[in-house]
Amino acid sequence: MSEVEVRDLTVEYQTSVGWLPAVAGASLDLRAGQITGLVGESGSGKSTLALSLLNAVPAPGRIAGGTIEVAGVGDLTRLGGKQLRKARGGAIGYVFQASQNSLNPLKTIGRQLLDLGRSHEVGDLRALIARAKDLANRMGLDGDRVLDSYQHELSGGMRQRVGIVFALVLNAKVLILDEPTTALDMLSQASVLDIVRKVHDENQLSTLIITHDIGAISEIADRLAVMYGGRIVEDGPLLEVLRRPTHPYTKALIGATARITGDVDGARALPGRPPDLTTVARAGCVFRDRCPFAVEVCAQTEPELHSFDSERRRACHVEPSTVLTGTTGTPAAVGEPA
Amino acid sequence: MIQARGITRTYQTHGSFTGDRTVHALRGVDFTLPDGGAVSFIGESGCGKTTLGKILTGLETFDGGELVVDGVELSKLRPRQREKYFRRIQMIHQDPYSALNPTRTVEATLGDPLRMRAKETGAPVSAWRERAAELLTLVGLEPAAVLPKYPHQLSGGQRQRVVIARALTVDPTVLIADEAVSMIDVSMRLGILSLLRDLRARLGISLVFITHDVATARYVGDGGELHVIYRGEVVERGLTDEVILSPVHPYTQCLLSAVPVMRGLEEPGPDRTAPTAALDERTPTPGCLFQPRCPFAGAQCAETHPVLVPFGADAVGTDAAEANVTGADVTGADVTGADATEESGHVHACFYPESRRVVGVEVGAASA
Amino acid sequence: MAATATLAASVRSRRPALTAFRKAVTRKPGRIIGLAIIVFFILLAICGPWFYGRLAVDPNSLYAAPSAKHWLGTDFAGSDVLQEVVTGGRYVLATAALSALFTSLFGVTIGLVAGYQRGLTDSALMRLTDFVLTIPGLPLLIILSTVWNFGSPWKMGLVLGVTGWGGVARAVRSQALSLRERGFLEAARGLGLSRRHILLKEMLPNVAPYAAMQLMLSMIAFIGAEVGLFFLGLVPFSSTNWGVMLNQAVFSGGAMETPSALIYLLAPLVCILVLTLGIVLFLDAIDELFNPRLRERV
Repeated sequence: MSEVEVRDLTVEYQTSVGWLPAVAGASLDLRAGQITGLVGESGSGKSTLALSLLNAVPAPGRIAGGTIEVAGVGDLTRLGGKQLRKARGGAIGYVFQASQNSLNPLKTIGRQLLDLGRSHEVGDLRALIARAKDLANRMGLDGDRVLDSYQHELSGGMRQRVGIVFALVLNAKVLILDEPTTALDMLSQASVLDIVRKVHDENQLSTLIITHDIGAISEIADRLAVMYGGRIVEDGPLLEVLRRPTHPYTKALIGATARITGDVDGARALPGRPPDLTTVARAGCVFRDRCPFAVEVCAQTEPELHSFDSERRRACHVEPSTVLTGTTGTPAAVGEPA
Repeated sequence: MIQARGITRTYQTHGSFTGDRTVHALRGVDFTLPDGGAVSFIGESGCGKTTLGKILTGLETFDGGELVVDGVELSKLRPRQREKYFRRIQMIHQDPYSALNPTRTVEATLGDPLRMRAKETGAPVSAWRERAAELLTLVGLEPAAVLPKYPHQLSGGQRQRVVIARALTVDPTVLIADEAVSMIDVSMRLGILSLLRDLRARLGISLVFITHDVATARYVGDGGELHVIYRGEVVERGLTDEVILSPVHPYTQCLLSAVPVMRGLEEPGPDRTAPTAALDERTPTPGCLFQPRCPFAGAQCAETHPVLVPFGADAVGTDAAEANVTGADVTGADVTGADATEESGHVHACFYPESRRVVGVEVGAASA
Repeated sequence: MAATATLAASVRSRRPALTAFRKAVTRKPGRIIGLAIIVFFILLAICGPWFYGRLAVDPNSLYAAPSAKHWLGTDFAGSDVLQEVVTGGRYVLATAALSALFTSLFGVTIGLVAGYQRGLTDSALMRLTDFVLTIPGLPLLIILSTVWNFGSPWKMGLVLGVTGWGGVARAVRSQALSLRERGFLEAARGLGLSRRHILLKEMLPNVAPYAAMQLMLSMIAFIGAEVGLFFLGLVPFSSTNWGVMLNQAVFSGGAMETPSALIYLLAPLVCILVLTLGIVLFLDAIDELFNPRLRERV
C-alpha cells in the first residue's frame, strides 16, 4: 500500500532556450511505514521532485504533467488555494534543506508554532503545543525549553529536530526531509538519523529522505531510489540495491563513496560532472557519456524504467548481470571536463 | 616541516547579559608535520580545528606555545618577516562557493598571484599563462575550457580544483585542507581527495587535513597521523588506520560510531556507542573534558584531568604528571626523548583505556 | 571572409562589458525607458544650449500662452519657457553628476579602506564619516553662498559632494566588513597579494553594484537639494536653472494665484519628476550590470 503515488511526473523550468525538464516522467511510490531514500548528485532533480510533492515548485518552474496521488487528499497537482495549503503540513510534513536556517530569528519557537497552528485553523492550540512538546521530548529535546528559545539559542542538530517537530505537529502521515544532514557534523548527523528512524516508527509514517550521501541514507532507509539527470534510474529495497546495483550509475555512486572500511585504492571517483538542465542529453540515456558500459543503443534510445524483479526497477539497456559483474573499465569521460 | 608545541588560543567574549566568558579554542596542541607528510585532525564542529587551520596560515594569532616552520620559531619574528613563512602554507577552504571571487574569471583569479610570484622568483612574468594552464592540468581541469569561466559556471568539484590550483600558484610546501570536501557532492569527494594525495606524492607537498568525517581522512595518503581533537584538546593520536581500527578514547569511539554504516556492504561494529549527552560548554569540567558525555566515565574522570599517555602503558597521566614534564621543559632537561616516544605511537588521554571495535565491518571480511 | 569572421569574434569577445550592458538594459522595457530618459536629459544638457545661444527675451509677450512660436509659453519677463527649461538643465545635471562623482570617490574609498583595515584606521575614518554625516548641508551652503557665488556647477557640486558621502561610506563599509570574512579574501591575504590588489580587484567589483545604486539614489537627492536651495532663494541666482524657475514662478510670477504662470511652474517640476523616474527605472539594471551571475541569466 502506498501513501503517495507519483506517476509520470514531469517538472519543467523556463530557460532562455525554452521549457526544459528538471524531472522527466518520474514514477515513485512512498510505501506506508517505509523510509524511502532518494539519492542523486546536485542538479539531478531530486529537490525539485521533493518540492513538487508539495506542489510548490518555485517559479520559473511548473509541473508539466503526471499525477501525485496522496492518500486521503487526492491528486495534489490538481489542488490549489486553501485545499493545497491544508495538504501542506496537514498531510505532508516537509523539512526543508538547510532547515537549520529556516526558523524566524525574531520569534521564539513556540510563537512560530502558534502561527503555524493558526494558519492551519487548528481549534485547540493547547493540544498543539502539548503535542509539539511531546514530539520534542521524544526526540531528546527539552520541550519546554525549546519552545521558549530563539533560533540562535539552539545548535544545528537541535534546529533540525525542531524542523521535524514542525513537520509532524499537525499529524502529517508523510514526512519529507530534504538533505537533513548536509550541514551537520558526524555526531549530529548520527543522532538526527537515529531520531528520524524513531519518529518514523513511532508515528507509522511514510518517509522520504532526499540526499546526495548514499552512505548516510543506507543507515536508515528501507528502500532506495536513485535519480540522475531528472530520471529515476533505479529503485528497490535498499539492501538489494546496495548489494547488487544493476544500474551503472548506482554502482559508480556506491564505489565513489568514501568509506571507513575497505580498500582505499579500490574506490573511484565518478568521472565527469553531473549534468544540469541545459547540458542533460536530449536523446538516448542521460548517463551514457559517463557510463563505462555504454553501447551504441544508449545514444539513440532512452531506456525506460521497467520492473525486472518483483520489487526492483531499472532504466538501462545493459543486462543487469553485466553491470553487476563487469569491471568498471575505462569510463567514457575521464577527469572532469567542463 | 612544521612543528607545533602546546599551541593555545583563548577568546574572551564580552556579553552584556551573559557576562564575560573565556572560550578555550585550543588548549595546547602539539604535532609534527614532516616534509611530504600528512596530519589529520578530526572532531565535531566547534572543537577548535578551524582555529588551528587559521593559525597555521597566519590568519589568526595564537597566544601560547611554539610554531616552528622549517626550523624557524615564528613567534620570535616580526609580522612582516612571518609572512614569508606563512606564504608557504596555503589554505584550501571549506566552501568552494565563497572561496572564489564571483566577479572574477578563473584566469584573473590565477593570473594575479602567478604574476606576483613570477616577480618574486625572477621568472619571466609573461610565462604566467603557461603556468596557469599547467596548474589547471595538474588539478585535473581542462585549461582552455575553464580559464574564461566565472565561478558560478563551474560545479562544486571544479571550483574546489580551481581553489587548489590557486593555492599552488605560490609554490607552497604545505596545504591546509579545512573540511575541503564536506560541501562537495559525495560523488565528487574522492576525486578531490585523490588529487590531494597525488599532490603529496608528486610534488612532495605536505598536508594538514581537518575534517569531521573520519572516513575521508583515510584517503589522504599513507603514513598519516590522526589527531582526535575535543574542545581544543587532542585526546587521542596515532596512525590513521590504527586509530580507526582500535580507538581507545571514548570520544574517538563515539565519533567513529557515528560514521554511517553502508548496510548491505558493511555491518555495524560490535561495540558501537554514542555520547550520553549533547555538548554543553558552559558546565565547568575540572576533570576530563568529555566526562559529562562519556558512556564509560568512572569515578576519577570528574576530578582529574587526564593527559596524553602511550596506549598500553601502565601509568595514566594526570595534570600533575604533565606539570612535571613542563617543569622539565623549563629546566632544559631532555624532553625530546619523551616527545619521541609519545609521537611514535598511539597515545590517548583516558583513565580507562580500552580498545573497542566500533567502525563498520565489511560483510565479505566478516564471513571470511 | 574568414578574416572578417575572426575579426567579428575578437570584437565580440573584447567587449563583453558592452554586450552585458546591452543585455541587461534590454531585458525589461522599464530599463530601456529609464536609460532613454537619462540619455535624453544628458543630451539636452550638453546640446540644448547650442540651439538657443543667448537667452532671447520677447518683451511683447509676457505670460504668453503656448503657441507655435513659444511651445510652452513665456514667463513674466517674456522669456521662452522651453528655452529656459533646456538651458537650465545643464546646471542641474552637471551639479548632480559632479556631486555624485565626489560622493563616490570619497564614499567608496573611505568605506572600503575602513571596512578592510578595521582597527584604528577604521575608527578614525568612521569618526570622520560621522562628522560629515552631522554637517548640516543647508546652513553650510547658505554661509558659503555669502563667500562664493554658485554660478559654476563645480562649486555647488563640490560642496554637495563633500558633505554627502557619509551615507555611501557607511554602506560600503558594512559591505566590505562582510566581504572580508569571505573565503576568497582570506585566500588573497594568505597568498600575500598586495593591499592595493585586494581593495581594487577583489573588493571593489563586489561592492560596485551597491555603491552604484547608492550613487544613483544620491543623485536624486542632490537634484532635489540644489533645486530646493534655489527655490528657497537661499543661494543668489547667478544662472538659469530649474530651481530659479520654480522660485520665480511662485514668488514673482504668482503661480499659486494665477493660472497664467502655471506652465512656468510645471515645466521644471515635470523635468525633475521625469528625470527621477528615469533614474529609478534604470536602477533595476544595475545589479545585473555588475554581477556576472545575473548577467548571464538571459
